[in-house]
Amino acid sequence: MSEQKKILVADDSETIRALLQTALESAGYEVDVAQDGPSAYELGNTGDYDLIILDQLMPGLLGLDVVARWHEEGMEVPVLMLTGVDDDRTAIESFDQGVVDYVRKPFRIPELMARIRMRV
Amino acid sequence: MSPELLNQSAVILIFSVNAILLMALIALKVIHRRRMKRHEGRRKEYLGLLSRHMSFENHTEPITEPIAEDPAFLDALIDMRNAITGDDITTLRRIVNHHGIIERQMRHLDSSWLLGRRLRAAVALAELGDETSADMLIRHLDDREPEIRIQCARGLGRIRWTPAIDQIVSRFGKEIPWVSTRFSDTLVGYGTRATWPLLAYIRINHRFETEGAVLALRTLAQIQDDEAVGPLLGILAETSDLEVQIATVYALGEVGSPQALNALDSLLDSGEWALRAKAAGALGGLGDAAAIPRLVNSMRDENWWVRRSAAAAVARLPGGTDALYRALDDDDQFAADAAAEALTDIGELVSARRRADEGSRIEPLLAHMRSEG
Repeated sequence: MSEQKKILVADDSETIRALLQTALESAGYEVDVAQDGPSAYELGNTGDYDLIILDQLMPGLLGLDVVARWHEEGMEVPVLMLTGVDDDRTAIESFDQGVVDYVRKPFRIPELMARIRMRV
Repeated sequence: MSPELLNQSAVILIFSVNAILLMALIALKVIHRRRMKRHEGRRKEYLGLLSRHMSFENHTEPITEPIAEDPAFLDALIDMRNAITGDDITTLRRIVNHHGIIERQMRHLDSSWLLGRRLRAAVALAELGDETSADMLIRHLDDREPEIRIQCARGLGRIRWTPAIDQIVSRFGKEIPWVSTRFSDTLVGYGTRATWPLLAYIRINHRFETEGAVLALRTLAQIQDDEAVGPLLGILAETSDLEVQIATVYALGEVGSPQALNALDSLLDSGEWALRAKAAGALGGLGDAAAIPRLVNSMRDENWWVRRSAAAAVARLPGGTDALYRALDDDDQFAADAAAEALTDIGELVSARRRADEGSRIEPLLAHMRSEG
């Protein structure tokens, strides 16, 4: 029996957290949520996740800064970054920090799910 | 009753009334806070409900009539609408259509006398409306409430309802500034489809009123459509209104077409300093290095704002930085100062140091930097 994959969703938008949690749980993933940068960083540090979906613009600590800290601490969980429509530069920078993929907001759920299935 | 007793009674009465009013106010605040908390709670539940509908195909969890009428459900729909795109919007639209959300909001906008309900309906239609609501949104561009007019224009812009462009443009000169500025934002969203209606409005109205024409020109500046250049040059040649001239020059600079070079160049000799300054700035936007000599000459203008604008424009042009460094040696001290200021503004500190090492005379730049602290 295959182990249930665990995903962390970190976004300050309640709508996106609710939407992603529902979509991912319906696809059989175990999901935790975080609503700001510091709690995303803390939860991510537990190292229990198969994938982390991280918003770039969050209160307390930006997504890119959270990734940079994980990178410094040697954490190797794949991160999928959610970015704003006009935020290409952030997306490109994020690849240098070890982010494996990025999705622009607003997103299509099927596309996001396909990208997640590729990584997990 | 003695006067003293009367006074005491009056004081007690006033105190009592104030106390009652204060308690009533506190009670209203508490009730309102609790209502908002319940609203938030329901909105979260509805987000979950909508998420399940989006995630499971043919999901059968019911959305009952009371839910569909709940303002918290409307808020959840709007939030969801802004989080998704593509085919997911189709799914959401099915939910909206199936439960008559648009029709209900149109009724509220048209018939309710409660401002809060009408405003909520206008916002909902702006976010969720479709072609079926377009006529109503156009009608309410003349609503008595400014914010409703703004939301209706926003809704028309979101669905890209082209027949509304003329309707929105024609109201520029009649609207209060706050509303017409928001109308302008909507028109920018239409992009180049709004160019010709805006140009037509300016051609017809610039002789009679300034505000609307100026706003239309600023809107064109943001749209940056090359096709507007010819007509803008025509307006520039026709109009004698200084504000309209300045706004037209600004628009030409933002569009950035080399077609405007000669007209802008000639305005560097205008008798109006504001026009000379704006023309200098606009030439910087054209990106043509041929303008540099004339702009350097304008750095010797009697007016400081013209000098500053000309120097800033030179800095934006290919080869402009070198021209500014040469201008540091200008016999005209004002021109040298303007060059130093422009170089500082573009962060030429590291290059300045390198050039100092190479032997260029950059004392004026260093002096300027010191004086700026």
